[in-house]
Amino acid sequence: MLHTRVVDIKDKKLSIIDAEKFISSSDFGASIFFSGTVRNQNNDKSVTGITYDSHDALVIKSFEEIYNEADQKLEIKDKAVFIEHAKGFLNLGEISIIIAVACKHRDEAYVLSRYIIEEIKKRSPIWKKEHYQNNETDWLKGNPIQYEKN
Amino acid sequence: MKVTIELFGASRDFSNQDSIEINIENNSTIKDVRDKMLDYLNSNFKGNENFIKIVNSSVFCSKNNIISDNYKITNHEKIAIIPPIGGG
Repeated sequence: MLHTRVVDIKDKKLSIIDAEKFISSSDFGASIFFSGTVRNQNNDKSVTGITYDSHDALVIKSFEEIYNEADQKLEIKDKAVFIEHAKGFLNLGEISIIIAVACKHRDEAYVLSRYIIEEIKKRSPIWKKEHYQNNETDWLKGNPIQYEKN
Repeated sequence: MKVTIELFGASRDFSNQDSIEINIENNSTIKDVRDKMLDYLNSNFKGNENFIKIVNSSVFCSKNNIISDNYKITNHEKIAIIPPIGGG
């Protein structure tokens, strides 16, 4: 069971309550909620906010691939996964990503949650532009995506 | 023929618009598009080294698939440049 969405921050904010509603089930005994938030420091600079950019269709595709891989690579068949990522300008402390997972047992839930966030960092086309106290901005250097065979 | 390149991430600084349009020869590949984009940056940004690095480290996407440098482009195809990523 999977829910994915790229949320334009002009429309709504990311909500842990939404995540809890989606994954909540008596089928599962362990739930993990991960949220990423905007930090006030990076590389010795005072950050005032971050603008997130996203190729929405590719991001959703990557979320679905990561979820499906969990079946094969991690052998976690029974699970509920909620992934939402924000796009647009976020102030300090606001939530940029929520990954909520529910599994039968805690070992699986911890492994799955960590797997999803690390794969998103490597594969999902999302970009950050940091805003600083001196009104400057900077796109953060990221990781190049690898080619897929066509 | 014409191709539209949607801009994302750091490549958004290449234009005030969400995309740029470039002219390429028939049967051009992504490699040719990359070269044309470098020409565009040389003309419009005096060969800004950071911008050139972005193009050289990016991949391209068509119809929601990442495509290789050998991919042949069709007339009026819309492709996207995908600079190095880093969300979360």
